[in-house]
Amino acid sequence: MQDALPPALFIAVVASSISVMILAHRLSFLTVGISHASLAGLGLAIAFSFPLLPTATAFCVAIALLLAALPKQRGISEDTGTGLLFAGSMALGIVLISQVSRNQVDLFGLLFGNILTVSAQEWHWLLFIGCMILLAFITMARAWWSIAFDAITAAASGLPVSLLRLLLYATVGLSVVMCVKLAGIVLTTGLMVLPATCAWLWGRSLISLWLLSMSFAIIGTFIGLLFSYHYDWPSGATIVLTLCVMFIMSWGIAWLTQRNK
Amino acid sequence: MKSPVISLSHINFGPSHTPILDDISLELESGHFMGIVGPNGAGKSTILSMVIGRLQPDSGHIDLFGECLKRFNRYRLLKNIGYLHQLHDYAPNLPLKVYDIVAMGLHDYAKPLWQWFGSTSHQHTDIVQALQYVEMEHLMDHDFRQLSGGQQQRVRLARALVRKPKLLLLDEPAAALDSKQQQKLYTLLRQLCDTQDIAIMMVEHDIAAITGHVDSVACLNRSIHHHAMKGEQIPEDVWHQMYGQHMHVIAHDTSCIGCHHA
Repeated sequence: MQDALPPALFIAVVASSISVMILAHRLSFLTVGISHASLAGLGLAIAFSFPLLPTATAFCVAIALLLAALPKQRGISEDTGTGLLFAGSMALGIVLISQVSRNQVDLFGLLFGNILTVSAQEWHWLLFIGCMILLAFITMARAWWSIAFDAITAAASGLPVSLLRLLLYATVGLSVVMCVKLAGIVLTTGLMVLPATCAWLWGRSLISLWLLSMSFAIIGTFIGLLFSYHYDWPSGATIVLTLCVMFIMSWGIAWLTQRNK
Repeated sequence: MKSPVISLSHINFGPSHTPILDDISLELESGHFMGIVGPNGAGKSTILSMVIGRLQPDSGHIDLFGECLKRFNRYRLLKNIGYLHQLHDYAPNLPLKVYDIVAMGLHDYAKPLWQWFGSTSHQHTDIVQALQYVEMEHLMDHDFRQLSGGQQQRVRLARALVRKPKLLLLDEPAAALDSKQQQKLYTLLRQLCDTQDIAIMMVEHDIAAITGHVDSVACLNRSIHHHAMKGEQIPEDVWHQMYGQHMHVIAHDTSCIGCHHA
């Protein structure tokens, strides 16, 4: 528990920051796509015995950038492109991993998260990309926010919109890798969408959304880990479940206060 | 004579057999209020899109503030332009206060978060002033999504004004406004031209509503059919070329440009 808490909370802070931009730019399906595509990256790393996290990181960012560039080039809609790459790289990952003997790969950990077994080396790597993500967020949050509100006017007022969008996708790719460590491939989207979704009901500006989203994520992760430790439930799933419960409660309270107004 | 704020020369756009814009030349001095009118699909919005760099003309060139508009100087030149585009497919679901939306129009809005906590008093004054122009300052703490279409449009106009532009490009700014608000808007724009020397290029299809306010009207349908200055009449054949035979001009005013029954 003590070992898992700092990385889990750190990942929660990073994921909840980017979460705000994912909701604003409607990229939740992109996170589904990239997280599943990361299986191919992990498969490549395992098959050729590359370092696991760096390979997955590079692969996820590449996929994210590909998805940012693909639709414009070929006239394929973005969700089709995401679905395509998502299925393709998942299939590739399964084939690659199936070639490796069973006890070498913690497939359950890849799919559902294994924050309890984070090594010192992995922790350093998580810190490194996490700080990069936060730095990118703090530097470009306003520009991304303004593009999410009205991309045409943002471009007309002199913002390099396509470059900023590319950087956003790359940052989302990086965040996905971190979340895969905590919540696994299948549950990453929950971690990247739920915090800001809870905040969306209450926040009224970029800063308040960001702070709320972080608070929800930190509280959810903390409670989730407590439960997971106490009842021996899988940690990633418990955290996502806690966030879901928090969303339902938050939504209920918002609904009640709206009605009583 | 003042040097032009914007000058378009021999702009062509679209395939050569069915051009969208055909040999367009226009000039605008500071303080000049120009209306561009024409039927649907005449290429009115296309002209504005070219000035802000969303579209590249196939030939011809655009000068902004005495400099040729190029890819590398575009972002710098655009800082002096306020742009209001048409509304379609426009439904942002972001929780935003009116005040924050106007702030997005500021030049330095997109700077990093840590710089934003510095001095903001002059920015605050600018934002409030822009909201006062469009009479929305009493709603500045409201959620943008809860406003009516006309109110949202006025907030967007405030966002274009808060950057203190030298050139305003407006694409049907009155589209969501009732007639009283329309007249207020045109009066405000006229006043901005006269007191702050802003040049305005405004696309509108209701010529009768704007004639009392603008300095000139350009009649556009693929090419500029006529460019009338204030007090000048637009010949009837120009109307028929643009809109076909079934065209009635209803405005009756001695000072009105579009009226040929004066």
